[in-house]
Amino acid sequence: MTHELVMVEEGDDKRVDGRTPNQMRPLSCSRNVLHRAHGSARWSQGETSVLASVYGPKSGTRKGENPEKASIEVIWKPRTGQIGKTEKEYEMILKGTLQNIIILTENPNTTTSVTLQVMSDDGSLLSCGINAACAALLDAGVQLKQLAIAICCGLTNDGTVLLDPSKIEETKVRAFACFAITNSPLSALSEVTPGSDKGKSLENGIVTSITYGSMQESDFFHCLERGRAATSRISEFLRKNLKS
Amino acid sequence: MGNVSRMTVNERKFIETAILNDLRIDGRRPFNYRPLTIKLGREDGSSEVHLGQTHVMAYVTAQLSQPYRDRPNEGSFSVFSEFSPMADPLFEIGRPGESAIELGRVIDRGLRESKAIDAVRLDIHILDNGGNLIDAANIAALSALSTFRRPECTVSEDDGQEVTIHPPETREPLPLIIHHLPVAITFAFFNEGNILVIDPSNHEEIVSGGRMTVSINTNSEICAIQKAGGEGVMSGVVMQCMRIASMKAADITKEIKNSVEIFDNERTLRKIKRHSEVATLEIDVPDSSMNETSQLHHITGLKNHTDLIPKSEPNTISQVFIGQASNWDPYSMKTSSHLSKHFVASPSTLSPSHVNRVVETISLPKLEKNQTENTTMDNDGVISMAVETSSVTKTKNMLTLKDAVDKKRKMKKKMKNVK
Repeated sequence: MTHELVMVEEGDDKRVDGRTPNQMRPLSCSRNVLHRAHGSARWSQGETSVLASVYGPKSGTRKGENPEKASIEVIWKPRTGQIGKTEKEYEMILKGTLQNIIILTENPNTTTSVTLQVMSDDGSLLSCGINAACAALLDAGVQLKQLAIAICCGLTNDGTVLLDPSKIEETKVRAFACFAITNSPLSALSEVTPGSDKGKSLENGIVTSITYGSMQESDFFHCLERGRAATSRISEFLRKNLKS
Repeated sequence: MGNVSRMTVNERKFIETAILNDLRIDGRRPFNYRPLTIKLGREDGSSEVHLGQTHVMAYVTAQLSQPYRDRPNEGSFSVFSEFSPMADPLFEIGRPGESAIELGRVIDRGLRESKAIDAVRLDIHILDNGGNLIDAANIAALSALSTFRRPECTVSEDDGQEVTIHPPETREPLPLIIHHLPVAITFAFFNEGNILVIDPSNHEEIVSGGRMTVSINTNSEICAIQKAGGEGVMSGVVMQCMRIASMKAADITKEIKNSVEIFDNERTLRKIKRHSEVATLEIDVPDSSMNETSQLHHITGLKNHTDLIPKSEPNTISQVFIGQASNWDPYSMKTSSHLSKHFVASPSTLSPSHVNRVVETISLPKLEKNQTENTTMDNDGVISMAVETSSVTKTKNMLTLKDAVDKKRKMKKKMKNVK
């Protein structure tokens, strides 16, 4: 693993915008940005920005849903164009992710609706959306078991893992993966000294993993490791945001 | 927030009585607009408008398409406005409801002038329904169209059939030819059409007896009038509305033109900067180049997000938190845990003068609090991170509570920072 690091530092793998492969774009999160919605958040990673809003439990579930649990309705709105298959796919992914983090038995026979609006798209859109949805749920006060923090990784032809790829990078990579990894409250309570591998000692399950393109098994696990470490940092950021 | 459509009798009576006395529930006078903020995104043709609590986003795209046979020199212009369920719990996804269609048609009628072969498509997203969606959406649409640039396309000479679209790198994209800006002004009627107010909020809209929208431009030419149903009003009242509308239209057009001008200036600046940045990337360490841009925008970045904080509601505290680019390496010894309170670039850029016009909010006290926290967090980080920390804290130190009060001083400081 140290070998790879040396290669990186030699300056061959500088990305288009000057980042190193392990460097993410600047994150920003604003909560409570909408007035009518019960909870709202705007999450930005570099130029990609997604606005999420949550409307709290409305009575009744839709026809096929299980009335003993709360149901979640996700609506993904692209910037332009009709709602097509990509958007439906994102909605499905988000619904699956959120179902695993929300305590569904709390409000049975209700519907919580989450709406996501893409404000600008410069790569890593799905991860931005998942993070925005999490932050909005927190803002709305919906009870969550854990946070699902998402990260996108791209795999280049020479095996380098790029974190948080931009749109240009996304078109050039061989394969592309998006992970949503849970972070439990335990990580926030323990005292952290910089440099400690706190991620390893706590439960970090993968809620969602989507890949595009073909990659070797070892590459996949490599991406996953990088993704895990990245999500622990992002969740730190989010928790600090909540405290302030 | 509760379900606004079902208002209690008391609320209704209160609003009506207040309006009879020339008072509105948010403290405005009958012919005052709510504070208007226009934000133009980084890309050409995208805008976000805040009109009080109403939040609307517009986005313009163009596609090459075949023109109609009887109008070979004209393109088409289509407006898609969908009410997002984000804006109001009553809005449902799927087929746009009648108010969405009405909104689209009103804007369409006011703007039906296109001279390009491209099919221009305007998407309007309603993000937050605070009342008077038509006006806000119209302003967003005008701003987006004013900043939109379509790629230049040439028709080949030999057979006249082939069209080449030039990418923005080779040829400068062209703006749309817009002859005039029709601004929509909405009035609400109360008390059987005797009293009118401008720019109704959503409570007032529900209580009102009728609504009328006038699209008018700075030459006092009426582009469109829409009054669908509701109470009947005397023709004299309608004429009065037009007169008031023409005055308000001038103000709003000025606002739009200012924002567009600022955007255009920034655009040209960015074009010049792009060339110099390319040169530096080859030599410099990546972190420092990121830092440059972050310094430029960090103040504006904060302002950008605090624009969205409602000023009038003291009990809702909105959180603004911006993290620095994380420069961590999981396998190196020099791991830094710095995802903390560095103020960094936000997606849309604002120039200092534009930011100044924005409503002042409670952002600056937060700055100070974070400042102190930042200094304690400065433990053994990566070398490059340390550089960023010191420079960012230095610039932050320059903004204090006094600047919140003293606009002029802050503006001067911002100009210094940009330079």
